[in-house]
Amino acid sequence: MFDEMHIEDGSLPRKPYKELYKWLSTQNYNQLSKKAAVAENIFRRIGITFNVYGNKDDQERLIPFDIIPRIILEEEWRRLEKGIVQRVAAINAFLSDVYNKQEIVKAGIVPSELINHNKAFLPQMCGFKPPGNIYTHIVGIDIVRTAENDFFVLEDNARVPSGVSYMIENRTTMKHMFPELFATNKVKSIADYPRQLFEALSKSGREICENPTIAVLTPGVHNSAYYEHSFLADEMGVELIQGTDLELDGGNIIINTTAGTQKVDVIYRRIDDEYLDPLSFNPHSLLGSPGIFDAYREKRLMLANAPGSGIADDKAVYSYMPEIIKFYMGEKPILNNIPTWRCSEKSSLSYVIENLRELVVKEVHGSGGYGMLVGPTSSNREIASFKRKLLRNPSNYIAQPTLSLSTVPILSKSGLAPRHVDLRPFVLVSPEDIKVTAGGLTRVALKKGSLVVNSSQGGGTKDTWVLES
Amino acid sequence: MLGRHGNNLYWMARYLERSENNARRIQATLHHYLSHKDEDHDEWGSIVAVSGFHDTFNLSYENRSMTNVINFLLRDRKNLNSIAVLMSNARQNGRSVRAYLTQEVWQSLNECWINCEYSLKRQVSIQNLPIILEDIVKGSSLFRGSLYGTMLHNDIFNFLRLGTFIERADNTARAINEKYYLLLETATTIGGQEDKPQWEILLRSLSAWRSFNWLKTGRLKPNEISDFLIFDKRMPRSIFFCVKELKENLDDLAVTYSKPYDSSELSNKLFSDLNVSSVANENKIDLRNFISNLIIQINTLNQKISNDFNF
Repeated sequence: MFDEMHIEDGSLPRKPYKELYKWLSTQNYNQLSKKAAVAENIFRRIGITFNVYGNKDDQERLIPFDIIPRIILEEEWRRLEKGIVQRVAAINAFLSDVYNKQEIVKAGIVPSELINHNKAFLPQMCGFKPPGNIYTHIVGIDIVRTAENDFFVLEDNARVPSGVSYMIENRTTMKHMFPELFATNKVKSIADYPRQLFEALSKSGREICENPTIAVLTPGVHNSAYYEHSFLADEMGVELIQGTDLELDGGNIIINTTAGTQKVDVIYRRIDDEYLDPLSFNPHSLLGSPGIFDAYREKRLMLANAPGSGIADDKAVYSYMPEIIKFYMGEKPILNNIPTWRCSEKSSLSYVIENLRELVVKEVHGSGGYGMLVGPTSSNREIASFKRKLLRNPSNYIAQPTLSLSTVPILSKSGLAPRHVDLRPFVLVSPEDIKVTAGGLTRVALKKGSLVVNSSQGGGTKDTWVLES
Repeated sequence: MLGRHGNNLYWMARYLERSENNARRIQATLHHYLSHKDEDHDEWGSIVAVSGFHDTFNLSYENRSMTNVINFLLRDRKNLNSIAVLMSNARQNGRSVRAYLTQEVWQSLNECWINCEYSLKRQVSIQNLPIILEDIVKGSSLFRGSLYGTMLHNDIFNFLRLGTFIERADNTARAINEKYYLLLETATTIGGQEDKPQWEILLRSLSAWRSFNWLKTGRLKPNEISDFLIFDKRMPRSIFFCVKELKENLDDLAVTYSKPYDSSELSNKLFSDLNVSSVANENKIDLRNFISNLIIQINTLNQKISNDFNF
């Protein structure tokens, strides 16, 4: 097991943690625990809460925050950053291809079935080039580490990745509580993210309008990520709107403001494709707005991310990502995939069935840690019932080996204790460049031994530092 | 700004103001109760009687005891004007317009709500009532202070101020309306005795007791009280003061959006009417008609604001 703070025998810190280690040795444990309670209080006061679906009693919850930062050195980060930029460029090229010529299918690299019969594939997008030819502007790439030099991409979030507000608020809270740490450590700033998001959106939207009016589209105050939607609208200084605020006026999308009507040019939508427009997609959706997709196709409006980007999120498509990168970029992937068995393939399926106890099995469209099996920590009964589900619809699943994710200490009730983590760096794509914010959101499985970091499943978060060297 | 968001801002401020007003009213009643508890005048009962929710009250409670009344007014979710409900409405509206508020304004509102949720979770008894009420009023002051100190004085600010002052004008008008018979010039002779404790409740619930005494050096005269509550230019809860604020904020909006508005016109008319009334009539007005007419006008203004700004 690789711990990011301690070298193997647990006695000395690894290089990135040297300063923090020194600081920790001067801290009183009770004081630190008190500070942790202060942090929780700050989050509650600011209202950084989320709603859990189907939970009626305690409607607003906090994502637990751990005060021990996770630290990455700049030289480690540079390699990650390069790999992420390469991967995101490939994802956009892939999306442009599958909605147009499908060269990658013709070349026999990705099976046609996987693309054209995929739930996340939107035929409505075929033959359409979005403004700037960018499909996914806002991306989150989930990364795990297993050893000093071994980083793997766990999954790609090309649809509507969330968590960026936690990244920023975690940093703000840490600075508030431990200013001395930021005075002595050169931590790369992340405060620029909202401005960069604004720029990525306005540059991409230039094809629609030189100075586009931007808005964030939220499903509403009851959505689990509502805090983030309002945070981003606030930080960017743009309107936070709901589907019912939008109206069609001569083909344009307008909003009713206190000063009259106003055309909207760019929408950063935090609503899934399916709910975006009842005329083009799910006819029962009340979250989106009728006609929004037509306005998009007529280039009167830009949507970020483009509808149909979710095909790149698909976990079966993920398994082809090394080939996808080679095909479009003509380079070897800098970041590795986790070896993945596609259960749609007979030989893989029989291997997976034989080895369920050792594997992690996921639904191809699943997210949030729901609907997955973690073999090593599951009971016989759970494995048997999952096996039945798997056999009923094999192509709905992929399987991966259970990786020994790296650990970083958390402040537990009995002092520092190692817990497994992952990392979601956030990426912004504009016609000019691809920017990765230094660090990202570290998610941590707070339960001892657990590998599931999702907030809906008892995960927490940490501030993530990239240390300048 | 979206019309819907204008509405959220306006109502957020209205709900907060209402909750503060209700808290002040309970404070005044508590003060009265603790100093005059031997009298059999049922002050707690009369709050319920004028709340507009006495039917709701009667369904849940056996009698108008102090404990029942304060719990009804503070924390009963069935009472749409209870402080718990008003605060959660204010916060819900605030959450919808989170992006328009500065961090400090939002946090003051959110903290005030968190404190209310906490202190109103359990049955409230007389021991902790003063502190709970003080916290509510304080929370409201913190909100107001951060609003003035950190927000741009733009249309967002205007909508918040409109909500505050329409609610406040309505509250002051209703408070006078409720006790108008005690404020008639003949009031001193009707019962043969001045109803000083009642005047005190009225002034205290509008947070005007000390300022009135300070200005009038202790002379309590009914027509002077009504004059003070309606026409005084310095008293932040007088009708005149509220209407002046309404007029100014609506004038600002007309300039910002460069449009004439019905609401702005009506507020200017109300403003000049009040100016005339105070001078020309030397307060010899028909108080009852004057006040009920005022309540109607405030309501009309509320509707015009909604129409004018696409609420």
